[in-house]
Amino acid sequence: MFDRTNLQVLANHARAAAENMAHTLHRTAHSAFVKETQDFTVMLMDRSGATFAVPMELGATWYPGLSYHRAIAMVDDYRPGDVAFTNDPYSGHVATHAPDTHLWKPVFVEGEIVAWTGGHIHNTDMGGAVPASLSRALTEIHQEGIRFPPMKLVREGVFDETILRIMSTNVRKPDLNIGDIKALVGALNTGERKIQAMVKKFGTAGFVEGVAALLDHAEAQARDVLRAMPDGTWEFADYADEDSVEANPCRLKLRLTIKGDEAVLDFTGSDPQLGSSLNVPSGGDPRHTMLLVGVYYVLYTLNPKILLNTGLTRPFTCITPQGSVLNPVHPAAVGMRSLTCARLRSVIFGAFSQAVPERLPAAPAGNNCIVNVMTTDERTSRSVIAAVNPVVGGGGAMPHRDGTNGSGADAAYLKNTPIEITETETPVEFVKYGLARDSGGAGRWRGGLATEMAFRVFAPDSRITARNRDRSFFRPWGVLGGKAAGLSDMVVNPGTSHERRLGNIDTAVLQPGDVLEIRSAGGGGRGDPHQREPWRVAQDVRRGYLTPAAAERDYGVVFCDGEVDEQATNELRAQHKPAAGHFHFGPEREGYEAQWTPAAYDRLHAVLDALPIHWRFFAKTEIFRRMKGRTGPEGVQAAFDAVCERFPELPRPKPVREAAE
Amino acid sequence: MDGAVAANEVRSKADWKVGVDIGGTFIDFCALEANSGRVASLKVLTTPDDPGAELMTGLKLLAEREGFDPTHMTRFVHGTTIGINTIIQRKGAPLALFTNAGFEDVIELARLRMPDMYSLFCSRSDPLIPRDMVFGIPARMRADGSESQAPDMAAVERSVAAAKANGAQGIIVSFLHAWRNGAQEASVKSVIARLAPELFVFTSAEVWPVIREYERSSTAILNGYVHPRVSGYLTALEERLTSRGVSARPMLTKSNGGLMNAAEGKRACVNMLLSGTASGVIGASWLARQAGEDRILTLDIGGTSADFALIIGGEAQFGTGELIGEFPLHIPSVSVSSIGVGGGSIASVDAQGVLRVGPESAGSTPGPACYGRGGMRATVTDAMVVCGWLGHSEMAYGQLSIDTGLAHRAVGDLAARLGRPVEQTAQAILDIAVSEMFVEVEKLASRAGVDLRDFTLMPFGGGGPMLGAFLARELGMKRVMAPRRPGVVSALGGLVADLRGDFIRTIFSPLSAASLPAIRAAFEALAQEGRDWLAAQGHHAAAELNLSCDMRYIGQSYEIEVVLSPKWLAESDAEAIAQAFHRTHEQLYDFHDPNGAIELVNVRLSAIGSGPALSFPEADEIEALASPARRIPIYAGLSVETVDLYDRQALEPGSTFQGPAVVVQEDTTFAIPAGTQARVDRHLNLLLTFAE
Repeated sequence: MFDRTNLQVLANHARAAAENMAHTLHRTAHSAFVKETQDFTVMLMDRSGATFAVPMELGATWYPGLSYHRAIAMVDDYRPGDVAFTNDPYSGHVATHAPDTHLWKPVFVEGEIVAWTGGHIHNTDMGGAVPASLSRALTEIHQEGIRFPPMKLVREGVFDETILRIMSTNVRKPDLNIGDIKALVGALNTGERKIQAMVKKFGTAGFVEGVAALLDHAEAQARDVLRAMPDGTWEFADYADEDSVEANPCRLKLRLTIKGDEAVLDFTGSDPQLGSSLNVPSGGDPRHTMLLVGVYYVLYTLNPKILLNTGLTRPFTCITPQGSVLNPVHPAAVGMRSLTCARLRSVIFGAFSQAVPERLPAAPAGNNCIVNVMTTDERTSRSVIAAVNPVVGGGGAMPHRDGTNGSGADAAYLKNTPIEITETETPVEFVKYGLARDSGGAGRWRGGLATEMAFRVFAPDSRITARNRDRSFFRPWGVLGGKAAGLSDMVVNPGTSHERRLGNIDTAVLQPGDVLEIRSAGGGGRGDPHQREPWRVAQDVRRGYLTPAAAERDYGVVFCDGEVDEQATNELRAQHKPAAGHFHFGPEREGYEAQWTPAAYDRLHAVLDALPIHWRFFAKTEIFRRMKGRTGPEGVQAAFDAVCERFPELPRPKPVREAAE
Repeated sequence: MDGAVAANEVRSKADWKVGVDIGGTFIDFCALEANSGRVASLKVLTTPDDPGAELMTGLKLLAEREGFDPTHMTRFVHGTTIGINTIIQRKGAPLALFTNAGFEDVIELARLRMPDMYSLFCSRSDPLIPRDMVFGIPARMRADGSESQAPDMAAVERSVAAAKANGAQGIIVSFLHAWRNGAQEASVKSVIARLAPELFVFTSAEVWPVIREYERSSTAILNGYVHPRVSGYLTALEERLTSRGVSARPMLTKSNGGLMNAAEGKRACVNMLLSGTASGVIGASWLARQAGEDRILTLDIGGTSADFALIIGGEAQFGTGELIGEFPLHIPSVSVSSIGVGGGSIASVDAQGVLRVGPESAGSTPGPACYGRGGMRATVTDAMVVCGWLGHSEMAYGQLSIDTGLAHRAVGDLAARLGRPVEQTAQAILDIAVSEMFVEVEKLASRAGVDLRDFTLMPFGGGGPMLGAFLARELGMKRVMAPRRPGVVSALGGLVADLRGDFIRTIFSPLSAASLPAIRAAFEALAQEGRDWLAAQGHHAAAELNLSCDMRYIGQSYEIEVVLSPKWLAESDAEAIAQAFHRTHEQLYDFHDPNGAIELVNVRLSAIGSGPALSFPEADEIEALASPARRIPIYAGLSVETVDLYDRQALEPGSTFQGPAVVVQEDTTFAIPAGTQARVDRHLNLLLTFAE
């Protein structure tokens, strides 16, 4: 048993090793993806491949609970100096889309593996149908680039040149890939050296027991957080606006059961796997890190001293039926799973928000939109591809303060690019970059405002992609009387006679002089807006966060010549009846769910679950096509009957199972 | 030497040079009488309610104790925290910001990314200028410096009226692409000056004309925010000094480790914000060079934090983008990393029974339990007392005394919760505190790409010597060099510093033979600015002009600074510049791309006017074993043992001894672990080497 008095010393040494790896990678990587976007992770793992330490300042937030054990087991005969790798989302369930290349290295001490170092980089391109290998429109994994199942990349310190040549032949920016991979190998070597120094300090047995104690400690902290929550079961569903180019909503559903110090996250009832690249390849792992990212945020928010490692995941069990969007089977495309993951996080936030309403915020904007522009520089006639700012929205209103404006919550890791840099390098001119008025969900505490960005292009056929756009129909929800936030939007030439609204479409072609405006969603509000102090509402109006009209409509605060009219405010507020119910979703979702009731969804899933997996998305799409004028379970059944009639080849469904399972 | 006779003798033909550094708790003095080589140091408690008063108290004490004569002071260098405190306490001037319409939220959005990114409650600091004091002026400059929309002066006029009505004392003007062309800012500034001469105005391009709108605006705002308080303070200081008959004009330490005069300080206040930590590193570099040490890790531990910096080739390292609170300061500053663990950090036991240290701190009030000022919770300092390292002499020039009983009681509370002996608990607190610092130093080393095993640790400040040797061993370092007066290294740094002005132009052009004439012209303009600046500081001797460029491979998103030889420019040798960039890139990032196209973003120039060549007395080394003052009991990890205690004042140059040992002196205490060989050098530095 490791001496717990010294556990923090070991934890600090482990964190120092992880930070050291992260800085080494960040310092020596070649691509903007790694250096600027910081889409990478590094970690230290125990003998089984379970992560026990991650950096806290650099890199992405998704993998502190990642276990490499299945991928490790797919390679034989590790020797000192070996490094193995994979980017295949369907082997070992470590990589979750093809650009993410994961590497791992055994750490030997006296001939025995005492630990592993590992990490991933997002390669700029892995080949396949489209540049950068990512597009919502792709329908199978084979279009998303070359895949390497787990295999050795470095043998006893020597790179396998064959593998590097195969990769170089198949990808669009081989120098960046190879440069970044070598930088990651350098970071793994750094981690190995640091672990060996820890073993020297703490002794082999001390180190191994200490690592186990770190995992146990994180587990105990997570269990304490759960124990402080009431026992019970909470259900919540949220929607991505579009499931593919077919543009039907994609529903994620969670039934959260907390009992004592354990929790079950049952995602049964989430949509079947999609004929687009929005699938999340969890492999059905009950503790897959992608499924639990929302949980890390909840745990860390409730206890900021929590250790981030695989121990946190132990009290949680996720259920993801095979063939669903959260557990797709090969060869479903997965490249754009980030969009679904954002919705997955909001589903988790919504379920926990019901369990501990006093302690968690309303929904964050939840659309981490990455904007790229491909245009021609008129001075040089050369084609330019550049990332413009991410357009993310505000955080949800917190228990004791307004949501953070413009970004926040689970989007806080994204960084923008200075306008002056973009305009100097890329022939675009910004018209606007700032916060969008009236976009934060109203509440006792207001949701964070949305971001609004507009820019003009000068060359014909300038192509814009705005990946991960969402929330153009289903609003970020408010809680406890707080209102849902403003919607995202993308508009060409706003306010002109040739204005074009693009809704949730994530690409646009612009012509000279065209202005593209992209707006994110805002964060949801929290608590009754009529309880917000008039001085705060007045301050929001003064700061341009809120129009006087919205102040009167949403907050019941009346303005007269720029000042609060106290009497009119009191009179208006006296008539106000606070909203009932935990959530406020806004008219769009309320309208949608009038047709697509929970019972309708139950029927839909009963029908689809009875079909072979490769029929389900097709059948879903055909049912949606026939829902006009139909509602509820009967409507779904009628639509399905019509589908069966149109497609007699449809396998006859087995009798519908009883709802109880 | 403190006799009245000696003092009178000194007074008659004295040449006093005094460095002063104001910290959180103490104000430190380091005074050198240049003719005799006599050095005096002093610490006085700060008077936050009347900044500047403690300075006069200190000068008075120096006169009484050391024979210092203010009228014979030829150099007075002063570092102050008034600027940074104004920001941290948010007591600065109400300001308005005039910026481009459509971009009013740039200062609130900052660069989007936030610290503490795993928390759903993460947030940014409120900007120093609230949104209702930000005025969007229709105006637009293109990236190439051409104007696409002239500033709407009617909007300026309306905004000035509104800003005044809302109580603004000053206005910051920051427009897009002012780094390329500051004309729009200048024209708006002149209109404001005409409409409201009572308001001070700073434009972003005049404060620091660098590309990146948020960083440039933030720097200009910081400057305006502290301006009234800093300039008021400096004016009062000048008056006080004059009334004492001081003829030396006060010089101020800067974040870049150099100096400027008070007139400059009143205008370019932003340059002094990080001067305290910077002059510590400058003082340390000076000591290192004097002792022939080349690669140093400095460690300055105060009550609430520990600061680290690397000295390479005897020189401090520079960076931009240091944070003041949460606001980036984009002027060149001495790079210093900081962590919130210091002597006052509080130890606690969490819900799972794991012992932790910090981030909560007892600060200087109430301070550690052992100070007997009402602190009840165990701190790092209390753990040092319980282990026996501290508490054998007075501290801080007799202004603090240690109550070991209180330390035992505070640590004992934790020990009871952990079910451990009190000494073991105290040792664990020290181990954890050291490991917290270990994380930060490891990060610093990996960012810089250096191997700390080649470095010597130099501990200073009140707390550095307490934990320095333990940290050095944890980091695998082999040597520690402790200066004779660790408490006044920052004050010394001011004393030995040069005048230093930094100048920048953003060029943003590909590096090629064709672009060299423009680059050369930019350097010539900067050189003129630099010479003018030095002349305005009263420096008329030779100037040292250092040239450098910020460059990157096209497509990269940040630049690295590359030192340039004037010869390359004179000979239009673009290839030599490219090679220098490739080399620096390789050094920093372990790779370079010989075929990569290079982009030149900024040209930089530092104008340096050397300070006086000072030397401190040296003594001949006498090889001898040092003799301990007495022996004391110490708990050193496993058991209590009796170790030697030395008095620093009695340690002769050349004398040696072995750890475990304790060395006490008027302003700090050294803890020297077992397995250490200690030796005093001819500069009176204490050198520790670890047996491996």
